[in-house]
Amino acid sequence: MDPRAVEDGHGQGVARRAVPRHSAIWSPEVIEDIQVKAELGHYRIRGFSTLRKRLPGFDDLTFIPSSLSRMPLEGYREKCVTETRLGTRFAKNPIVLSTPIAITGMSYGALSRNAKVALGTAATRLGISTTTGDGGMLPAEREASRQLVYQVLPSRYGFDPQHLRSANAVEICVGQGAKPGTGGVLLGEKVSAEIAAIRDLPPGVDQRSPVRHPDWIGPDDLIIKVEELREATDWQVPIYCKIGTTRVPYDVKLAAKAGVDVIVLDGMEAASGASPDILFDHTAIPLMAGLVEAVEALEDIGLLGEVQLIAAGGIRSGVDVAKALALGADACYIGTAALIALNCNKPLYLEDYHALGVEPGACQQCHTGRCPVGITTQDPELMQRLEVEAAAERVVNFVNAMTMELQIIARACGKADVHDLEPEDLRALTLEAALITGIPLAGTDFNLKQIFRGLARGDGR
Amino acid sequence: MGFQTRAGGSALMAGSFRLDCAALSTREINQTLRQLLAEGVRDIVLTNPAGRHNLGVALRGEGRITLEGDAGYYAAAMLEGPSVRILGNCGWGTAENMMRGEVVVEGSAGNATGATIRGGTLVVKGHASSRTGISQKGGLILVGGNSGYMTGFMMQKGVMVICGDVGEALGDSMYEGTIYVGGRIAELGNDAVLRDLQESDLELLDAQLARYGIPGRFDWKKVVSGRRLWNFSKKEMGVWIHAL
Repeated sequence: MDPRAVEDGHGQGVARRAVPRHSAIWSPEVIEDIQVKAELGHYRIRGFSTLRKRLPGFDDLTFIPSSLSRMPLEGYREKCVTETRLGTRFAKNPIVLSTPIAITGMSYGALSRNAKVALGTAATRLGISTTTGDGGMLPAEREASRQLVYQVLPSRYGFDPQHLRSANAVEICVGQGAKPGTGGVLLGEKVSAEIAAIRDLPPGVDQRSPVRHPDWIGPDDLIIKVEELREATDWQVPIYCKIGTTRVPYDVKLAAKAGVDVIVLDGMEAASGASPDILFDHTAIPLMAGLVEAVEALEDIGLLGEVQLIAAGGIRSGVDVAKALALGADACYIGTAALIALNCNKPLYLEDYHALGVEPGACQQCHTGRCPVGITTQDPELMQRLEVEAAAERVVNFVNAMTMELQIIARACGKADVHDLEPEDLRALTLEAALITGIPLAGTDFNLKQIFRGLARGDGR
Repeated sequence: MGFQTRAGGSALMAGSFRLDCAALSTREINQTLRQLLAEGVRDIVLTNPAGRHNLGVALRGEGRITLEGDAGYYAAAMLEGPSVRILGNCGWGTAENMMRGEVVVEGSAGNATGATIRGGTLVVKGHASSRTGISQKGGLILVGGNSGYMTGFMMQKGVMVICGDVGEALGDSMYEGTIYVGGRIAELGNDAVLRDLQESDLELLDAQLARYGIPGRFDWKKVVSGRRLWNFSKKEMGVWIHAL
């Protein structure tokens, strides 16, 4: 639309726009952010995950299934194995998943009791594992979950050797993709009397978890810590180490050297129930990039396959899982996707979304404890809105759908086991994905990453 | 009971056992300790611990275990019931996350002594290093000598007694709990504040010192949380700016 000349109060013609033009630097979001912080006096905290519009990721890859040069498998008759064993390196009793998908660590405290029990119930029905979080092991969660991974976090809230012994795997949490290098946050609204008692905290405090483990610091200490946890669990169960995708090549090698069975890579797409807003968008690297680095690191030290990889952060579908597996992951964790299957962001109880000043689909209010659908709350009334049985069934349905999507892709690529998916089954749709992954750009047949590495080394290889 | 022969061990008398660590792996030592406690052996002596890590991890039940020498990291960690006496020095994380029981170190201990303990009593008769009782969640930590910087960092509950001097940032960001210091405090941590001692404080201190045979007269100081970090507040920015 053309600008219109309008008379102003001084009788001079000035250009006014019928359509407002926003500055890219001082966008409405930036202006709002500054004005909110000018009132608040400290950084902003919110839930959910990064709100970046675009990140290099699995959407930049496409599969090239079989045709003449390769034979696909029939969807109806031919088997496509999904069973996944984790912890085969040192543990006597590895975790056995019916499908390479498991529920990631989320605390009782961040999530409601009903949400934790629904996830455990769903995981048991599916034959997969679920994970505790930065709030100890809820007995009802243990009861509901046949395979439960027990996190060892810097805070050690509610840490109990009895819980440790009852766990089916142990996960040493070093960092998370949503907010690597920082500790957890649970605002006072959610620190109910029960949550406070479990965590040995005063009720109602704005709880900040430490980020460094209290009793070990560097990778040399971690070797001893891993031995301690093995001794405490009689070398029965797998030990995982969870890291955010930051300094991946070094961290993966050090975790492998420390003697863990499984490394969980949590990408920058990962979510959190409460985190300083800036961390979601400005820390860690995308999962796809981290995964490629992790696979290369394990290859480098000859431990690829022996030390296993779980890819986490922003996994939304069976296709994402297929791509992660093709790049070298052994399994994927889902967190936000499982919560969305529970009911997160569902257009129910609209008045409660509006009371929080948001719409379903863009809620991000997990930190307030006022979750309209009863998932990220400790309010007994809100929690009742999440009916455990029905919620568990939705997660079962969703993960089954993911598994079928994964099998469709694997069969189309001629794979009788989903773990046989490989980089060769993929093509990149963007230059950056081609460069990050080493997968040829669609329509080309060369590895850009290798070429650029050669150029960087100066040997042209 | 107690007379059976085992690799590396010999029975002393009914209900007691002597285990030589020298020829055994850490796995074998811990497995044997668990078996002995489960069988009702009440007195176990470990010889030649040689500063080894992870000795006596996650032990349960009743019994007295004596280490005749030094231990490495995580000695008697996650203890649930037994009484452990270490006749030498210890590495990092001694008795970390103890639930119940008693650990007495005759010598000195390294960093993060008694980290995150939730119950029981940990006594270090010598000195402790930095971050003693970090994230302590219950129980009692008693240090006969000095303790390093960030002692009681993010303490949540329980009682800590340091008879000697403490380093900088004592009780930094503590939520609750009480720290008593008999010597000099180099610096109070963020939001750690001094409170006057009551008669009940002195009774507690006298009783614990007498119980563990720690001699001396002390000029006790009592440190608790100022509670200004309990909730985010821009009015307390002076406190928060260091806590973030």
